[in-house]
Amino acid sequence: MTAAVEERLDATFAALADPTRRAIVARLAAGDATVNELAEPFRLSLPGVSKHLKVLERSGLISRRRQAQFRPCHLERQALDAAVDWIEANRRLWSERFDKLDDHLRTLHAPTNGDPHV
Amino acid sequence: MSDNVLHVTRVFDAPRQLVFSCMVEPEHLTHFWGPTGVSAPLDRITVDARAGGVFATVMVNDADGSTYPTSARYLEVSSPERLAWVEDHSGMTVTITFTDLGDDRTQVDIEQANVPAQMMDPAARAGFLTSLDRFAAHLARLTRAER
Repeated sequence: MTAAVEERLDATFAALADPTRRAIVARLAAGDATVNELAEPFRLSLPGVSKHLKVLERSGLISRRRQAQFRPCHLERQALDAAVDWIEANRRLWSERFDKLDDHLRTLHAPTNGDPHV
Repeated sequence: MSDNVLHVTRVFDAPRQLVFSCMVEPEHLTHFWGPTGVSAPLDRITVDARAGGVFATVMVNDADGSTYPTSARYLEVSSPERLAWVEDHSGMTVTITFTDLGDDRTQVDIEQANVPAQMMDPAARAGFLTSLDRFAAHLARLTRAER
């Protein structure tokens, strides 16, 4: 993994470290929304939501169109996919290590008297 | 729930001391440290199993020979119940707990906490309380359903 990719992942995970931001991301997974639409269900002030959106925007998880005053927020799935892929790859890594460790432990436990090749 | 990012658990049919040894002895690590299709040559594993000691490996892709070096420092080596290290490059902390289940069975729990600088803020760390891996699975389902 390159340093640039890791840095981006760091930013993604940092952005996702907040429960409100995760809820915003989950909401945007269902479709674009304006700041007003996002503020409502979370009972947040508009400046409060804007603060979270800025963090998400900087991390590359969301983008906002420069259109009109509503500037709908859009989930950038690639950035999210990178984070999800990393988590899945990490889980797979340990799962495969454990499979091998299981085999290794069986070898250690195999009876040592007698020829294993018979 | 703690503020850890990822949890991995597995139960092994082997006594706790042996499973612990497998995690800290190069002669054992070489058999399983590389995932599928990847080797971890014995002569490239460094283990200094004490707090502050080095844990370094080089994993080699069997197909094309490309290498993936890893290096970490042990935070805790408490045989046979707990082992922890912090990865030099990513700052990720890996804590492994070995639980004796009786009948020569051992449960291994791995908790991985990603602690880059921006995560050290207590408020940000608290955000991880709702386990990020479950969130990822949830989102993966959401986004796949949409495609």
